[in-house]
Amino acid sequence: MAETKKKKKIIITKVVDGIDTEVEIEVDDVDGPQWLPKGATRLIGKPIQRLDGPDKVTGKARYPVDVRLPGMLWGRWVPSAHANARIVSVDLGPARRLAGVKVVIELKHAEDVVRFHGDPIAAVAATTPEIADDAVHAIKVQYDVLPHAITVEQALAPGAPSLRANQNGNISRRNEQGNKAEVAEALEGCAHVVELELSTPIKPHVCFETHGVVVDYRGGDSATIHASTQGVFTISQDAAKWLGIPVGNVETNCQHMGSGYGSKFSLGKDGEVGCRLAKEAKLPVHMLLTRRDEFLAAGNRSASIQKIKLGCDNQGKLIAIDAEQIRLGGLGRGSQPGHPYVYKVEKVYRDVYSVHTNIDSSRAWRAPGHPQASFGMESVVDELSYKAGIDGVEFRKRNLEDPMHRRHLDEGAAAIGWHRRNRVPGQGAGAIKRGIGCAVGVWGGGGRPICEVDVIVQRDGSVTCRCGTQDLGTGTRTYMAMITAEELGLEVADINVQIGRSIYGNANPSGGSTTVPSLAPAVKHAAYQTREELSKRAAAVLGVKPEDVRVQVGKFAGGSRSLTWKQVAALVPPEGLSLRGVWQADLASRTTHPAQFAEVEVDTETGHVRVIKIVAVQDCGLCLNPLTTESQLQGGVIQSMSYALLEARVDDPTLGMCLNPNMEDYKVAGTTEMPEEVQIIIDDKDDRPVVGIGEPPVIPTQSAIANAVYNAIGVRITSLPITPDKVLMALEQEGRRA
Amino acid sequence: MNAFELVKVRTVDQAVGLLPTGRRRNDYARVKILAGGQDLLSELKERIIEPDSVIDLKSVPGLDTVSHNDRDGLTIGALVTLTDLAENDVVRERFPGIAEAAASVGTPQIRNVGTVGGNLCQRPRCWYYRSKDIICLKKGGAVCYAKDGLNKYNAILGAGPSWIVHPSDLAPMLQALGAKVTIVGPRGTREAGLDEFFITPDISATRETDMLANEVVTKVTVPNSPVAGRSTYVKFRERGSNDFAVAAVAAAVERAGGTIRQARIVLGGVAPVPWHVPDAEAALQGKRADDATLQAAADAALEGAEPLAHNAYKIPLTKNLVKRAIRKLMA
Repeated sequence: MAETKKKKKIIITKVVDGIDTEVEIEVDDVDGPQWLPKGATRLIGKPIQRLDGPDKVTGKARYPVDVRLPGMLWGRWVPSAHANARIVSVDLGPARRLAGVKVVIELKHAEDVVRFHGDPIAAVAATTPEIADDAVHAIKVQYDVLPHAITVEQALAPGAPSLRANQNGNISRRNEQGNKAEVAEALEGCAHVVELELSTPIKPHVCFETHGVVVDYRGGDSATIHASTQGVFTISQDAAKWLGIPVGNVETNCQHMGSGYGSKFSLGKDGEVGCRLAKEAKLPVHMLLTRRDEFLAAGNRSASIQKIKLGCDNQGKLIAIDAEQIRLGGLGRGSQPGHPYVYKVEKVYRDVYSVHTNIDSSRAWRAPGHPQASFGMESVVDELSYKAGIDGVEFRKRNLEDPMHRRHLDEGAAAIGWHRRNRVPGQGAGAIKRGIGCAVGVWGGGGRPICEVDVIVQRDGSVTCRCGTQDLGTGTRTYMAMITAEELGLEVADINVQIGRSIYGNANPSGGSTTVPSLAPAVKHAAYQTREELSKRAAAVLGVKPEDVRVQVGKFAGGSRSLTWKQVAALVPPEGLSLRGVWQADLASRTTHPAQFAEVEVDTETGHVRVIKIVAVQDCGLCLNPLTTESQLQGGVIQSMSYALLEARVDDPTLGMCLNPNMEDYKVAGTTEMPEEVQIIIDDKDDRPVVGIGEPPVIPTQSAIANAVYNAIGVRITSLPITPDKVLMALEQEGRRA
Repeated sequence: MNAFELVKVRTVDQAVGLLPTGRRRNDYARVKILAGGQDLLSELKERIIEPDSVIDLKSVPGLDTVSHNDRDGLTIGALVTLTDLAENDVVRERFPGIAEAAASVGTPQIRNVGTVGGNLCQRPRCWYYRSKDIICLKKGGAVCYAKDGLNKYNAILGAGPSWIVHPSDLAPMLQALGAKVTIVGPRGTREAGLDEFFITPDISATRETDMLANEVVTKVTVPNSPVAGRSTYVKFRERGSNDFAVAAVAAAVERAGGTIRQARIVLGGVAPVPWHVPDAEAALQGKRADDATLQAAADAALEGAEPLAHNAYKIPLTKNLVKRAIRKLMA
């Protein structure tokens, strides 16, 4: 007789290319593992240092780029020197003749078109990186240079090159919503209206470790791919295809990886080239991009242009918005949620579309589209609050529906000292002026059923917690050990955590802030089942019922007796006890509500902006480990501070070439740019289970900084990054107007 | 980088003998001198230069010392590192602006290796020049792409037909204090003031100094002067942790009570050479450093500036830095 299980519907987050989408699914409504309430835990929620921290800081941790194999060759590719050109010829001969060059392959042939500066044309594998570099240099490419489009104007001009196959012109994914005339009328009736044109630049990911793989293949029908990846399970299938061997014979291995931020979700062109070179050489190939190739051809955060008109009534209630939003993802689609971002506005008209240019395709980038949309929306909201004469925090609270946002704004305002802000922007005396600003964001960050976690107990008491997942730098090993140890009455150091191999249990790619909410429940489930099974076995020895066995530190107790962990472990079968955990809907939650405040100092004589302090208020459901959580929030804040003040890919519109594909001209914030303080306030008041917080901290920072700059100088900088030239010229213009 | 012959020399004359005698662009490019290598290596790695041989000067003894006496002033060997210069007690006390300029270069790692000679002889940072896919005027091409391109960091003074800015932090400060470089060539040793040593692009668009291809800078001498002890280098950069100057002011004054007896001002980051501004110095002479005087000096310093499409901000910026530098020296 079929058993009827009680079902319930829940919403989960499904990630495609790092962009999350909400999906409703049905799951069993049964008893099972539950997180312990706060205060009842021994390890979870406690600040525990990351297990692999010492390995990382001493250099012991081996990243894919560090892999060295006997006979290994070094791969490099030939990047296009032009943004749009037809290949006339590729002369591989000189490269082939160089001693030490083992393989040379063509990626583009005569008559093929290269579509962006840096587009790979040919590739080489040689016995040293220097010889590979010489070989790349020796390959002569003849181009028939075609007209290119780098700017929106160039892309939309008559006669512009059509950059997307089967598509008319360079506009795609147009999404128009609402009634423009109706919104225009509503704006007419508003007590206050602001109109701004805002822009954000292309921001490459600037991963610590560049993209790529080390392909361990020596002929035959099996291979191991050492991949710098956000998804261990996104590699093998394509690698097998390029190597021409069965997928089941290809293992992907990623023990440590040097960041991805959304750009490392597949084998990619670099991985493809690594596999093709290895296949031809029948030798291992080290194919990780040079920093220059990384800048040119490994993806980026799309730029944006946002023309927004926003109006409110005399109570500060948002009435109408008209937004034209352009996504500039180069050859890619780009990302940008439609306005109004986060805020509630009565009447909405928006026209969102992508414009394509001869620049490497955008990829997912930590909270795809959200920082751009936040900068647009928060700039007009901020401007309108001043115009309406309503306190900025109060104004925002009146137009945010989620009580969590309102609570976070109050907490952040208290922490930064919001009362110290300039009532009149720019009112401060002297050349160096201070200002305070704020902004909010929203992110999903839920889990889904995909992870398979094995907890294995051996008779000698050793415990392994194993899953094929990757650690993107968030401390995955550490919380896997914490959850397992807590459940079994052990210490973190007692758990042997094994991750990063595709021969282990399945796991999701780390995108959309879904790793913790997908993985932690499965770890908990595996550990819970192990505890249940061990309790059963211990109960028999202790002479109590299994449900009366209590797990204590280092022992299982029942009645007046107890067994040490070693004694409990001795009860498992000779081959060990291995139990697999899967996702538990009740153990994960979704949606977070970041709010951030920034205090800045603007030197009006040089245009330099210094960030004094950032307060980041973040709900994260059950906080597994406050230390790694704070690290992640600080990292996000600093990354977006750098976006606010320094970072921008620069392309010459006439030459169609990127001018700053290096770490000197592409400026990333360094030690002296750091704020005096990044104060993290973790909000776990609402007792939700785990939520992912990888992405939310990067969303509001640049907006809060931009609003703080306005508060300091009384002039709004409408394009990121807020560099000294923009500040000085804006002040000059303002001075001339005054 | 390309494969080249690396030659370690024991004497400067040996180096001179190995350098090409011609004066064509290629003669300057065929053989390069290696000191700290902080600029040379990046040029090699990007294949902006592909020399046949590189002469390592570091094996020449005696070029890495700083000395001072009352008669000759300060003598700085070409191989003195920027860190050693910045931390030298005599320099810090008697030529504080030089210590400040040296300390403002790059990062600690660069300063630990980079040398004074290399800092003066380094090539420009213009991103058109540094792009391996662009053959600009400075690399022997026909066009200075900065002129009509993305020229936010380029020159506003003394430019054309090339719009580079000179990247050195030391050069403006040394020039402000009347320094001379000692150059050894095939016909012996000569001395040149920094105002003669650096040449504007109308003289040569592909070089920044008047050196022959077979000359080597061996030392820099800075005279004792009434202004040296009250000198400062005010550098503005976008990224404090590691950046070249967007604009900089090397200034020195001799005070007489509250008035300025004499002043020296050389601008950095705004022209293809360190930009000496005698009119600004004259505007300060015999005056108190009040707002009107500072404004007059700042205006005089930027007299004749011709901004391109994206670098007009350098005018107010540099004016403000001039005022800041003089205020600091008169405080």
